[in-house]
Parts: sequence; structure tokens; C-alpha cells
Amino acid sequence: MLNLADAPRGCKAKVIMVGAPGTWGVRLLQMGITPGAEIEVVENSGGLILIRARGSLISIGRGIARRILVELISH
Amino acid sequence: MKEITVALAGQPNVGKTALFNLIVGQSVEVANWPGVTVERREGFREHGGYRIRFVDLPGTYGLTATSVDQVIARNFIISGEADVTLVLVDSTIPERTMYLLLEVLELTSKVVVAFTKSDASHSAGVHINYDLLEKKVGAPIVPVSIKTPDSVRSLLDKIIEVHERGPSSQLIKVDYGELEPFIRSIEEVVRGSGLAADFPTRWLAVKLIEGDRDLESRLLKRGEIDILEKARSIRREAEEILKLTMPEAMAMKRFNAVIEVIKGALIIKGLPTKGGERLVALLYKPWIGPLLSMLLVSVLFTVVFTINTGFPLNMVLKSIGLSDLAGFTEDYSLSHVVSRCFDYLSQVVSSSISDSVLKSLIVDGIINGVGIVMAFLPLIATISVVLAVLEDSGLLPVIATSMHPFLRKIGFSGHMVFPIAISFGCNVPGVVAARASPNFGERVRAWLTIAFIPCQARLVVVLAFATALRSLNGLMLMAAAYAAALSVFIAVNKSLVIMYKRRKLYEEPELLLEIPPIHGPIPRVVWWIAWNQVKHFLFKAATVIFLASLASWIMLHYTPSLAYTDDYSLSVGMSIASIASPLLTPLGFNEDLAKFIGFALIVGFFAKEAVLSTIAIVTGEEAPAKALSVLGVSDAQLVFLTIFTTLYVPCIATLVTIYSESKSLKITISSIVLMMVIAYAISVLAYAVVSALVHP
Repeated sequence: MLNLADAPRGCKAKVIMVGAPGTWGVRLLQMGITPGAEIEVVENSGGLILIRARGSLISIGRGIARRILVELISH
Repeated sequence: MKEITVALAGQPNVGKTALFNLIVGQSVEVANWPGVTVERREGFREHGGYRIRFVDLPGTYGLTATSVDQVIARNFIISGEADVTLVLVDSTIPERTMYLLLEVLELTSKVVVAFTKSDASHSAGVHINYDLLEKKVGAPIVPVSIKTPDSVRSLLDKIIEVHERGPSSQLIKVDYGELEPFIRSIEEVVRGSGLAADFPTRWLAVKLIEGDRDLESRLLKRGEIDILEKARSIRREAEEILKLTMPEAMAMKRFNAVIEVIKGALIIKGLPTKGGERLVALLYKPWIGPLLSMLLVSVLFTVVFTINTGFPLNMVLKSIGLSDLAGFTEDYSLSHVVSRCFDYLSQVVSSSISDSVLKSLIVDGIINGVGIVMAFLPLIATISVVLAVLEDSGLLPVIATSMHPFLRKIGFSGHMVFPIAISFGCNVPGVVAARASPNFGERVRAWLTIAFIPCQARLVVVLAFATALRSLNGLMLMAAAYAAALSVFIAVNKSLVIMYKRRKLYEEPELLLEIPPIHGPIPRVVWWIAWNQVKHFLFKAATVIFLASLASWIMLHYTPSLAYTDDYSLSVGMSIASIASPLLTPLGFNEDLAKFIGFALIVGFFAKEAVLSTIAIVTGEEAPAKALSVLGVSDAQLVFLTIFTTLYVPCIATLVTIYSESKSLKITISSIVLMMVIAYAISVLAYAVVSALVHP
């Protein structure tokens, strides 16, 4: 298990926990980043992280990504 | 004619604006939702013997009370004002976008579903069996597309059908599985609450177990603390057993329900990345991405400015020796054409009125005021078009994302790219655009500092000062003014961040944005978004700017004892200026000159470009450079004036906008004080440095 900010580019992962508080947390969940969801890390460099979740592309700031716990499925 | 009210609900980027426009055309009324500055748009369409009123709800991902938008959307659906709710699902990303549909179905059963972008679903690799899906959802589903306007008619048929049919019990309900017993216990508890009269109890229970803040505060307001406590303890119990927070568990269940519904009715195949996507991916690369974004934004806004004012193309042309062409770009820029029209109008009017007070009121007050508003209009319109293109094509979130790592360094997130970029044109729409950030602290810092970004009205003044210089280089002065403004913007924001951090109020600027696929903008949607913005400007900002210029006319033409005067030196404005003039005397201005300049700067508060016209009026010299040399202003003093004009108080239109956005007198006044103090300090410093270096 690792946090999304550390997930390498190109990997597929499964969301374990969405720990972001308040508004951000609810927004993430509504955008489909829920426990159990499979996501793909499209880009992870510098300050930004891009993932694909439930068919849509989402950019996430590093601070929020650090609170999302994932499990790698493949590289 | 009988009327049906339809609430239009959809997530961001599903094509809601495009569909709304397709249905209602030009019959749009824009107002605000009661008590908040969120736009409420309504439109009408006649169909099948009904007059159907469409109310466009704010685009939201769900209906939990985490933002004003979501509360507005759900309150409207429950209020009973809507007969039917039309929910939009993006047929290219059905799984994600059906989430909102399930949330709406928990509130009402009078629902019609529109699957948008149906022409694009195949190329996105999504194949949908609509008949089967409709059976499983239980509500009518209509595939629609901008390219097939006929699809709207069957949508309207279904809306009438659902309205005449009334509530249905055939619709899918989310099965919350092991959470159901907890939900039922809360349902029992809330039956005793006064809220049960206004909301369905099942929905209340579902939202309370999720920890919905709006409902919790409603319970508190009613004094039903025992009900709230019971609901909370049931929630804690459920969280302990499931080892998940309730918002997580509930969202998971809803997405599972979505997957259950689409199973068998929908096939999604992954498709290879297209060329366009690869290009966009380039924007996410470190260094290259932000540079490309910056280039794109600056090219776009350079074009916008050139069309409107001739700048900066005219400077480029002049510097390579093509001054005729430079003059042409300037003379035929939109704002020059508009102001020439108003000059002509003033001449015609002033030659036909003999009464001097009336003439002055109409020419200097009203026509001049309307002229200022109209000169702003093409600028606002072109910026709106550019923004609408960026928004509709999907480039906006891409640029915001790629700039995010840079803006973070001064406490802003990628959401602030556009507020900042627009502000180089005009601070007013820039301040409004700061809404894009969901972080309140970030918005406050934007309200306080955006006016430091030099808008083009200030550019006009700076240009005039630059041409009046005797021994110094004009271009250098302009570069210095811009550099000063930007350094101040960065430095003030950095200090605010440090201040916020000390007080433990700082929240790291964060970004969370959906990035829709890039596509060519749809002209009618772009036109429509832009036109609505322009109308908004005309009604709101224009009234204020107009009233402000009337006020400035009164300040210029009336004495403190409220008698009309032609002599500016007797006016109210001049007596205010004489109070402020001691601040200018240390800069080598003699007493009279200090008064004049102070007076011009006060007038500049109404609109920065008025600094020049005032100097022109006072000296009787049309050309600003001549006027300044008549006044005997030295190079060092010009440097002071340039830097000061660039940095001092935001104009009245910007101030009004800061107030209407922040609803805080404290923030508005802070922005004035902040700018005045910094402007004075830096420009005095610049004066000292220059007069030490270039001693006459």
C-alpha cells in the first residue's frame, strides 16, 4: 500500500481509502475515486498528478493525492 | 397555456450548457439564486401544448452539501417548484456521470434522462443498448446530440409524458446493503423531526448518515439536538463496523449500483490514444508544459489586446520603423473607434445645447460616462469569447493543471491562472473569475492582490507618461512599471502566505479538476456563453461605472457649497486634493502642481485613464506629453507618477466588484489601504533613486 502521490506513472492501482477531509474528500468520491475503484496513473511529475478514474481524466494536487491510499495492481 | 417547470441537472462538462442552449435558444433570463451570487438561468420552449420552463441548476458532481451549488440544486429539486427533473448523463463517460442520476432519483421519481454527446460515444469506445438501460433505470432515456437537433423533440415529448404520468415507483433505488439497517434506524428517528415535512424521510436518513452539514445545521437551528445526536451515534456505530467513513461507504454503494445498472446494457472498450490527446499530454510535462501554456495564454491575450487597443502590436511596429502601420493598428482598434464615435456625439450634442450646466451634464457627465462603459464593452466581449472557446474546447482545465506547480509557489492553485491572465486586460472580470477556486483563503488573497496586476487602462496612462520623458528611455520606464507591479504582486502574496501560515490559517492551494477530452469549440455555444457574460457586464458593472462617472462629474463641477462651477480649482475634488497635497510636496512638486496632480490622481480612482483627461482639461493641452511639460514635471517626478499610477487604489469598478464578490467591507478597505501604502512607498523610493542618478 502507498499513497497516490508516490504511485509511479503508468501504473494501475486500486483505491483503498480516501482520507482527504471535507469538501475535497466528498468531491473525490463524487468524481468516482471511491474505495475499490480502479485507477490509472497517467502522469506523475513535478507538482501534478493525472489519473484516469471511471472513464474520465482527473488532475489532482499533490497534497490531496498524499491522503489517498492505493494498492498497486500493475506497472 | 399550461406550464411545466423542468429542473436541468448535470455534472460539469457533460454538455449541459450546449443542451440548454439547443432547447431554449435565445429566450434566456439570468438572475441570481436567492441570497447567493450563483447565476440562475431560465429559458422557455413551447411544445405539445405546453409552455416548458427550464431552470438550469448549477453543474455539480453530486448532491451532498459541500458547496452552495449542490445545496441550491437539491433544494430546487425538492422544493416542488420543478415538475420534472431532467438529468444529463455523458454517454462517453456513463459510469462516472450516472452518479448524479442516482442521487437525484433518491429525491424525486419524476425524472427524464438525457444521454448527451450520443454522436461521440462510439468513437469514445462506448456502446449503449438504450432500450435495456431504460428498462433497468425505470425512467425514460433519450440519447441527444448537438448535431441532431431533432433529438430534442423526443426529449420534450418524454418530459410531458412524465409530467402527465406523475410519480412512479418503477425506478431503481440504490441498495446500500449492510448499511440499510442503519439507514432505517435513522429514518425512524427523523420521522419525529420537523424536517420530515419538507424532505423525504429516506433521503434525510441517507444524507444524515453521510454527515450532511446543511441538514445537521438545520436540525440544530430547529433545536432538535437529540435527533442529531441519535443520527450521529448511529453513524459512528456503522463506521466502526464497516471500517470505512460513511461518505466513502455511501459513494461506493452508489457506484456499485451504477455498475449493476449498466452491466449488460453497455460495453466500454479502451481505445488507443489519439494525436490530440498526445498533444495535450505534452502540456503536462514538467517545464515544457507550463512554458507552452504560458505561451498559449499570452498569444491569446496579445491578440485580444491588439484588437482592442492596438497594443502591443503598435509598439512592435513602431520599434521596427513602421510607424504608419502602428498608427493604423491604434486608430482602428475597437476602443479607439468607440471613443471616436462618442467624441463625435459629444460635438454634435454640445453644439445643439446652449444652457451651459445642462450641456456640461450631458456631454461631460452622461455621454462621457456611457462612453467609458462602451469603451470597456468590446474588451469584455472579446475576453468572454476567448474564455468561452477555452472553456468549451476543454483547454481551460489543461492549462490550469499545467500552471499549478508554478502558482503554488505564491500561494495560488492552477484555478487562478485565468483570473490573473484576464487581469492584465481588466481587473473587473479578473476579480469575478477568482470564484474558480474552492479555497476561501486563496480567494481572499486574490481579492486583495489582483488589482496590483496592471490592467490596460493603466497601460494607457503609463504610455503617456513615457512619451513625456525628457532624457530617460520610455520603454525602460514601462518595463520598470510592469516589473514593479508584478514584483509587488508576488511579494505581497508571498507575505500574505507567511502571515496566514503564522496564524495557522493557511491551507495549501490544491487542485482537483476533471479534464474533459479536447474538441473543437461549438460556435453557437461559444457565442451564447460570451453573450450572456456581456449582458451581465452591461447590466451590472455598467450601471456602477456610469454612476461613478456621474459622481466624478459632480466632484469636478460643484463647489463644496454645492454651487455649479466651471472652474476646477473651486470644485469639491480640488478641495479634497489640497488635503492630500502635502504628500506630494516632498517630491519636488510646488503647491499648485501638487494640487493638480493630486486632483488628477483622485479622478483616476474613478477610472485610471481619466488621469490623463484631467491633466488635459486642467492645462488646456490635448496631448498629454505637452500638458505634462507645460506643468513642468521632471523625469524623476514622471517616474514617481508612473509607478504610483500603476500601483495605487484599484479603480471604482474593481472596488465595487471586490465588494460584491467578497461581501466584506473589511477586505475591500484593506485592498485600498494595502495598495495606497505600497504604491506610495515604492514610487517615492523610485523617485529618490532616479533623482540621485539623473540629476538635472
